[in-house]
Amino acid sequence: MLLINCPHCGPREESEFSCGGEAHIARPLAENTLTDAAFADYLFLRDNPKGLFLERWRHAAGCRRWFNMARDTVTHEIIEIYPMGSLPKTKAGKVAHAASWRRETAAEAAAKPAKAKAPRAKKENG
Amino acid sequence: MADASPQIRLPGRNALSGRPAITHANQDGGKPGLVIEELVHLGKLNIRGAADILPGITAQTGCQSLPENNRFVTIGERHLAWLGPDEYLLLCEAGREDEIQTRLRQDFEGIHAAVTNVTDGLCALGIRGGSVRKVLAKGCALDLHEEVFAAGQCAQSLLSHAGITLLATGETRFVLVCRTSFAPYVVDWLVDAALEYGVSYRT
Repeated sequence: MLLINCPHCGPREESEFSCGGEAHIARPLAENTLTDAAFADYLFLRDNPKGLFLERWRHAAGCRRWFNMARDTVTHEIIEIYPMGSLPKTKAGKVAHAASWRRETAAEAAAKPAKAKAPRAKKENG
Repeated sequence: MADASPQIRLPGRNALSGRPAITHANQDGGKPGLVIEELVHLGKLNIRGAADILPGITAQTGCQSLPENNRFVTIGERHLAWLGPDEYLLLCEAGREDEIQTRLRQDFEGIHAAVTNVTDGLCALGIRGGSVRKVLAKGCALDLHEEVFAAGQCAQSLLSHAGITLLATGETRFVLVCRTSFAPYVVDWLVDAALEYGVSYRT
């Protein structure tokens, strides 16, 4: 059983939380210009790594707020908990974010605003 | 408030209507370790909004500041409990919730805030007794040590799978708020968990 440090309520038992799966999947803005295969990357494909995984969690039985968590799927060690809409701050978390196959997908490229050059943290919705 | 109206009418039924009182003696003699009473028709308002709701809250409840995380403030008979970063639960005297809701809505005009009357959707139980923390600990993962979950603390959690909001009003006193439809289950579970300490459910 995990002891999860809710950013609002403090340390609580895992049973109070629900896991929302992989984090940092940005929705393509002009999805009608994407191929079905590229859109499927966004819609259906989810990572299932052995090791550090960036996930979304929700304090379902408590404050009902979402947050992001960097968790090791082997040891269950929680490396970092960080707010929705932001990127991990720990070195391991940054590496895991940058190393994800999703960073290279057409779906993620299409999620960037047309102006581009926006800092990476702003294009993510967690 | 000064203009308390004698015409307030309370509905005939409450969450635990028709359930008989239950008493199991304390095996060691003395008082029962847990006493449960429904706080019948206690008014409950769910309030959502950022810091700019404070003037309205102060005007209608007398509460001078919004409660901090995991805490509640008590103003007379009223409790204002923190539920989330922009969410609060106001417990008020029976029958006053409509009036307070109307006034709060007027005060909140033009700001991003909401007041919802959840009086009938939630059931408030007053639980107390020497063994109340031991009983709760059987089904709740919160750290219920009296120095950690002290008077003035509140938390939303699970009690044997049922979602609850727990307000510690004293070392051996709590207000437990659960969904009305879960109230019979929660009372049955509390009675069962408290058998070894002696329990009294009063109607």
